[in-house]
Amino acid sequence: MLAAEHYRMKIESRQRGIIFSFNGFISESILFALGKALKRKLSLDAINANTMKRVFSVFVEQAQNIIRYSCETLDRDALEDSRISSGLITVGSEDGRFFVNCGNVMRRDDARPLQARLEQLRGLDPAAIKAFYLEKIKAEAEPTSLGANLGLIEIARRASEPIQYDFLDIDDATTFYCLKVFI
Amino acid sequence: MKNLFIAAGERSPEVDFRFEERRLALRGEAFPEDAAAFFGPLLRQLAVYCEAIRGQDLQVELQMEYFNTSSAKALMNMIQTLEATARGGTRVVLRWIWQEGDEVMREFGEDFATELTHVDFQRVQI
Repeated sequence: MLAAEHYRMKIESRQRGIIFSFNGFISESILFALGKALKRKLSLDAINANTMKRVFSVFVEQAQNIIRYSCETLDRDALEDSRISSGLITVGSEDGRFFVNCGNVMRRDDARPLQARLEQLRGLDPAAIKAFYLEKIKAEAEPTSLGANLGLIEIARRASEPIQYDFLDIDDATTFYCLKVFI
Repeated sequence: MKNLFIAAGERSPEVDFRFEERRLALRGEAFPEDAAAFFGPLLRQLAVYCEAIRGQDLQVELQMEYFNTSSAKALMNMIQTLEATARGGTRVVLRWIWQEGDEVMREFGEDFATELTHVDFQRVQI
């Protein structure tokens, strides 16, 4: 029973093209370890270096967004960079393209401005995304700024099609946010 | 100013600031756990140094393989400091070096070029 249940989970993941998935509390050091394993896996599979770099970049930015902005965090008072927060991150391939998904619980109040930013990015073509990135990086070139905006633009820039997102409201205060990015 | 060398870490670049020779270099990957803690002191030291060598010349080499967005902002900050220094009369040569075939780093060279008019910006593929 125990093995059957877990084997089913494993097979289901494989059927959905998932090569790598993490669900739970994630910190910067876990991000680093996962990123290292991901790079190793992609390089053993002889994935093109540019694709690998794009997948890795989207993975890092998404994982850092979970660490900083998931509302399920162990130490809310800690600096955003040093938090340990809960979320879900998966990397896989579908029809020959890689995807990186992430999901985390967030406050519904924070979801509205996020949705506006995501919608804005979805409406931009690659040249406009590049110009937007430059505009933001020039404005935010302060070492103290965390700049979630820039992270999302970087993600959109490495994507091969408009980013997909969804929200599932959990209760009056919180919502589950998901982002799917094809490289 | 005393030379500063920091060996590359697993997620931080090699820092090779040879102030006496007026040659500064960053090489490798940058996604430090705390970008402000890593880059903050470097940027402050760079600003002081650039002020001190006004009117002389400076050679900077950036050979990055990957950097996250927090580090990208620090690099942009560094590039803006270099541009201001060059505008103030210091001859600044900045070499942006990337591995052949690395589209992401090649494109970042284009991005940074848009910030630079007084710096002699050289893009070098190796």
